[in-house]
Amino acid sequence: MEDPVETAVNESAAAIAGCGALSATGPGLEPLQRAVASNASALWRRECIIGKTSQSIVAGFVPDEIVGQLRAADPARADSRAFLFAAAALKEAAKNAGNILDSVPAARRGFVLSTTKANIEALDKLVRRQSVSPVAQRQIQPAFLAADLAGRFDCRGPVQCVSAACISGLSALQQGAALLRRGQADAVFVAGVDLISQFVLSGFNSLKSLDPEGCRPFDKARIGLSLGEGAAAIVLVKRELLSSPSILLSGWGTSNDANHLTGPSRDGSGLALAIQRALAKAQIAPDKIDYVNAHGTGTPYNDGMELFALRSVFGSRVPPFSSSKGLFGHTLGAAGILETALCVLALQNNLLPGTPRLRERDPVAPESLLGEPRAAAKLNCVLKINCGFGGTNASLALKRVLP
Amino acid sequence: MNDVVIHAASWLGPEGFGNDQTGLRAWPPPLRENLSRGELGGLHWSLLSDSDPSRFLRMDLMCRLGFMTAELLGVNFDAMPGARRDRLGVCVESFTGSLDTDIRFAQTPRPSIFAYTLPSTVVGEICIRFRLKGPVLSLISPDTNGAGAIAEAVEWLRNNDAEMTLCLGIEAMNMSTADSISLPKNLLPRSWHSAALLLGRAENSPREKPFAAGALVDVCRKLCCR
Repeated sequence: MEDPVETAVNESAAAIAGCGALSATGPGLEPLQRAVASNASALWRRECIIGKTSQSIVAGFVPDEIVGQLRAADPARADSRAFLFAAAALKEAAKNAGNILDSVPAARRGFVLSTTKANIEALDKLVRRQSVSPVAQRQIQPAFLAADLAGRFDCRGPVQCVSAACISGLSALQQGAALLRRGQADAVFVAGVDLISQFVLSGFNSLKSLDPEGCRPFDKARIGLSLGEGAAAIVLVKRELLSSPSILLSGWGTSNDANHLTGPSRDGSGLALAIQRALAKAQIAPDKIDYVNAHGTGTPYNDGMELFALRSVFGSRVPPFSSSKGLFGHTLGAAGILETALCVLALQNNLLPGTPRLRERDPVAPESLLGEPRAAAKLNCVLKINCGFGGTNASLALKRVLP
Repeated sequence: MNDVVIHAASWLGPEGFGNDQTGLRAWPPPLRENLSRGELGGLHWSLLSDSDPSRFLRMDLMCRLGFMTAELLGVNFDAMPGARRDRLGVCVESFTGSLDTDIRFAQTPRPSIFAYTLPSTVVGEICIRFRLKGPVLSLISPDTNGAGAIAEAVEWLRNNDAEMTLCLGIEAMNMSTADSISLPKNLLPRSWHSAALLLGRAENSPREKPFAAGALVDVCRKLCCR
């Protein structure tokens, strides 16, 4: 009898044709993979203006040198970092998708953007009566940023924009798969982007959510998150377009805690529901999941809630799991796509990512929490989870398929 | 679209407010003047109900509109079995999103309003109010007619991802907020409104109406302004 993991496939699954990334780890997937393999944190400290004062912040800032290079290459959009970041990730994803896109006419290319605040820096400047270019002002509006990026990559099919707090990225991938399933597109560019801005720093600082020394997901002494910025992109295509699809976006699910606006439900039941929905759609039994990339922000309540949810779904056999927030910070609207791209790398390289910045593991965490990266014989099924303000939860199942 | 039916519709806009049962009711005169000028601060729960949902006072403009419109549906969600509420989806679509609150937060950062600088927060407020567990989705769209929310709702129902889905289209912006930073006109909504539609699969419901394809706002307006 054949292994059901490798044969049972949700008919609406979408194939992943290419990925791209830009984060604190640098431009592209290669530095990201190197950072994963060495378990190195790319968070760094810089002085930031929050309100009217300057504060020292540890976060996943995209290095200034990279921003400078992007600006020099596209001076017309130099004051829209959101556009520059997303375009860089999309360019890499399109390149990695290769010739497959040649067979997809522009009218059959869809586009889905994930962001929480788009080009929010321009709004900060407008409020302070500073000069802002019309392009940067326009891209305050997420739908316009989506339209401009779709235009840059000649996606003339349906364009959507998801803004659903920290589950935006996973929701956008779900929407991309839906466009393929409905026959509205043959390929969909899904991109996520968010910036570390005065606006966002002020908000998380006011909620006292930031760890001044940098986040420590699933650590016994964790006290808060670290913000990150950047972009990621994934090109989804209909399965039949790839002669040998290797990784499928196989199942997805969302839910709401119906409990609290800014705090997670303590029992993890909402997240468990989202995971169960994704597994059911993917037709994957819980014991077939080889790795879970957790939301793992490093806040006491979030990480604790996730542990409850994982135990609720997987019982005493929680699969190996880790958090990548210590690597590049919490990139908000980009997080779901960036971390899914990281999961794709894990599947391709059979390498289970670790949890950078973890010092002393939370004693209530299952033994399967990965502090360090670990080679695996073969990864087949991976689960990605995110949670966000408003009590939202999302889960995505990735499956490697036989050629 | 025969398999999808409308269980309830509500509408709130410059002309008034109502649902598919009551029809449209005009705003009282002093408020009507403000609302027609795009000043929405006077929209308050007390216009709909004598009850006192304390959460309402904490909410931003987008959430207040969405919350009122969901309540205006006149659906007793509490009477639904828990299993149905666990599979009742909420999908919101907006062009303006939380921009009104974003501007106010950028001017004066306060922790109490930071959570409202997300266009998806209204989904959370509605889920908390009616104890709904999703699926959930929040779309930002250049079209202000809510067609995208309906398309998603129909998709969820047909794929059995949800048993019923509450779709909302919300555009909310105080003109005084926009004017305070000389917000470019292309970032403003054409008008303010909030429309809600509860969709489900055909079953024996007294308020069930065949669903004709159309944009959310148009369908709700037509059902409520008869």
